[in-house]
Amino acid sequence: MKKLALPDDILMQIDKPARYIGNEFNSVKKNPADVDIRFAMCFPDVYEVGMSHLGIAILYDMLNRREDTYCERVYSPWPDLHNLMKERNIPLFALESQDAIKDFDFIGMTLQYEMCYTNILQILDLAGISLETKDRNNDDPLIIVGGPCATNPEPIADFVDLVYVGEGETSYPALLDLYKEHKAKGFDRQAFLRDACKIPGIYVPSLYEVTYKESDGTIESFKPKYNDVPATIVRQVVADMDSTTYPTKMLIPFVRAIQDRVVLEIQRGCIRGCRFCQAGMIYRPNREKSVDILKKQAKELLASTGHEEISLSSLSSSDYHALGDLMDFLINDCLSEGVNVSLPSLRIDAFSLDVMSKVQDVRKSSITFAPEAGSQRMRNVINKGLTVDDIIGGATLAFKGGWNKVKFYFMLGLPTETDEDMKAIPRLANEVAAAYYDTVPKEQRQGRCQITISTSFFVPKPFTPFQWAPMYEAGEYLRRAKIVNDEMKAQLNQKSLKYNWHHSDVTVLEGVFARGDRRLCPAILDAYKSGCFFDAWGEYFDFDKWLAAFEKNNISVDFYAYRQRDLDEILPWDFIDCHVTKAFLKKEWENAMNATVTPNCKMKCSGCGAARIGSGVCHNAR
Amino acid sequence: MRVRIRFEKTGIMRYVGHLDLMRFFQKAVKRAGLPIRYSEGFNPHQIMSFASPLGVGLTSEGEYMDIDIKEQVNSKAALETLNANMVEGLEIKSFKYLPDNAEKCMSAVTAASYLVTYKDSKDDVCYVDNILELKQKFFDEAASINIVKKTKKGERELDLKPLIYRFNIRVVDNKPVYDLLLSSGSTDNIKPELVVKAFHEFLGLPEFDELSLDIKRTDMFTGESDSFISLGDIGQ
Repeated sequence: MKKLALPDDILMQIDKPARYIGNEFNSVKKNPADVDIRFAMCFPDVYEVGMSHLGIAILYDMLNRREDTYCERVYSPWPDLHNLMKERNIPLFALESQDAIKDFDFIGMTLQYEMCYTNILQILDLAGISLETKDRNNDDPLIIVGGPCATNPEPIADFVDLVYVGEGETSYPALLDLYKEHKAKGFDRQAFLRDACKIPGIYVPSLYEVTYKESDGTIESFKPKYNDVPATIVRQVVADMDSTTYPTKMLIPFVRAIQDRVVLEIQRGCIRGCRFCQAGMIYRPNREKSVDILKKQAKELLASTGHEEISLSSLSSSDYHALGDLMDFLINDCLSEGVNVSLPSLRIDAFSLDVMSKVQDVRKSSITFAPEAGSQRMRNVINKGLTVDDIIGGATLAFKGGWNKVKFYFMLGLPTETDEDMKAIPRLANEVAAAYYDTVPKEQRQGRCQITISTSFFVPKPFTPFQWAPMYEAGEYLRRAKIVNDEMKAQLNQKSLKYNWHHSDVTVLEGVFARGDRRLCPAILDAYKSGCFFDAWGEYFDFDKWLAAFEKNNISVDFYAYRQRDLDEILPWDFIDCHVTKAFLKKEWENAMNATVTPNCKMKCSGCGAARIGSGVCHNAR
Repeated sequence: MRVRIRFEKTGIMRYVGHLDLMRFFQKAVKRAGLPIRYSEGFNPHQIMSFASPLGVGLTSEGEYMDIDIKEQVNSKAALETLNANMVEGLEIKSFKYLPDNAEKCMSAVTAASYLVTYKDSKDDVCYVDNILELKQKFFDEAASINIVKKTKKGERELDLKPLIYRFNIRVVDNKPVYDLLLSSGSTDNIKPELVVKAFHEFLGLPEFDELSLDIKRTDMFTGESDSFISLGDIGQ
């Protein structure tokens, strides 16, 4: 029988023990004695969330294709198990072999959201590894992080040895080869890091020095400590999506994951250029997979997983060039086999409604719009190319097709937002409700239509045109939500409207981390030591502990979140080159201030800088 | 066409709960390419039912599920492809076509057999010298075994005696091994830990910890107490 790291009495008292036993179908089994490199790939959140992540699935498959490497998985133990492991000194282990990860060569963690930073420390702590890179020695694993938050890794600079900036498919082979070389000649941690920093996309935070201006605390200089260390890190991207590695099978967890289905990535990047959206900027250029490859991958993955649902993954599926062809294939070939096709957020038009009516129960499902802002002026500021006519027209078509539920997503606290912009949100919802009563004759209605409005609070992110924008204090966000709520109650069709809004404390913290620098590290460390982790989970988030950690370390929330940054200020992430140039971002910031719309990449190239990659939409015929 | 599948759930699979196991089998059946029948409607689901859920922590040599398939397949080949889609701790033991009039396993089951041991050497139990004699008094000679059973609605009195079809003890390495055959199914489903707990109380042992028991279900049966038939002996 397979050995388990946790004893029976622990497994019998914790929630969902199957999270910790491995043994999932399609998981990789290798003999650790047969490999040179042991890699623990970690998603620093609970199993069900981590197992749903496509990026890890791709890297797990890719790394295990190497004969010299055994890549295993690790997720954050839930607090119930965390406490028991601490109490009994059980070191954190990898799921496949159940071996302690302290003895591995690499621990890789993906940073999908800022609120997971304390969970990085939890992983290191439970593993029995020094929390700070300065305290680690030759025997400790190398801690490497990647993912979207790696585009500003500075708030966790003290905790990680290496940062991988870019898409994992590109530079990992070179990094692992280099590691093997170093291991063969007698491993020296510092010598390895010094060589590794020369691999494209690899950033070693400890090799850089940051100084700050005494006058205002902003960065004075950000420099490599040595001449042979690169001053700029260029984000690595896959040029050709058809030839890049993609798994032919995926792991089947016992515990139901958030994504309990085949996830098929149809393209990377987005042509839209919404100014608040980090993914829309850093994943440029838009690169599509060919439809034939996708059909083949869909078939293969359904057969090897036995999943009964397939979903398409991309930032904006409606922009995929052969969506009709792909959808026809999925509906004709998969639906009959008992496989559901779940639809990603599509632009609502006649085509998508037709597809949706084929794959879901119209009476039960709802139509989703993400206009992000209520007024046309505000939508122009954020470059969301969606008009009132698009929304009312799409909703009217949906009502004719039998739907009567509509969901809307908006953001509050966007740059230049006025009270009028906020009030435009419920007014737009009211117009949609009115369209329902105009479109559907009384005798055909099944009660009222349901229009649900959700707002989240805007957080400015690095490498977006809004990276200089100020945030607001928690109370101000709630004031804005109240304006929306009050205005909603003044609407004629208010009984058909419903409004949900998010909590604001966590928004402020997210804002601090998103644009933070390495002076935040001691505060994050103190917050973890005072008991903060699983901050992304409302029931574990403790804002007061965070405020105490900030105060102790002289961290001003005002400085990181609320202040308007100067366009010429050195930003903590300026040393990273995401292909999109700072000049372009500045121009887009000005366009935003003038409420000027920039055309999408398929309409016209706006010279963002991503054409340097030499592939994707920049080089397709328009 | 209905098929009854017998399988084992052993080793570390004891930590996987019933709902998770059902989802595992839904996918395994698809991977194996069996022509399983789906229900009609917008959310079609596989026609698949299990005899009786096995609690987390228990192992079993005799679990059953019934599935409907659209066309006949070779039993031996189906068994092999299904096994190729299992994981360590799950093994398909038989794949049999059911007669048309066969009752579904879920409603057919009337009894289940168990072997129960202690996970750790529980000194207080292991050294009850005259355990076999005491067992005679507790079970064979007793007219009734009255216990208080906790239910969702509260507590109720229950006589276990008519619901225990076999209560034997073998002593192996100075430790008792309970060999039980208990009423099972939708009415009067008796868990083995309930029976062992009653015995502990009879012996006058202090606290009972059901997590100290290692429980293995060995088979499930249908029929009446004088003529039990294993669910796996139906069909061919």
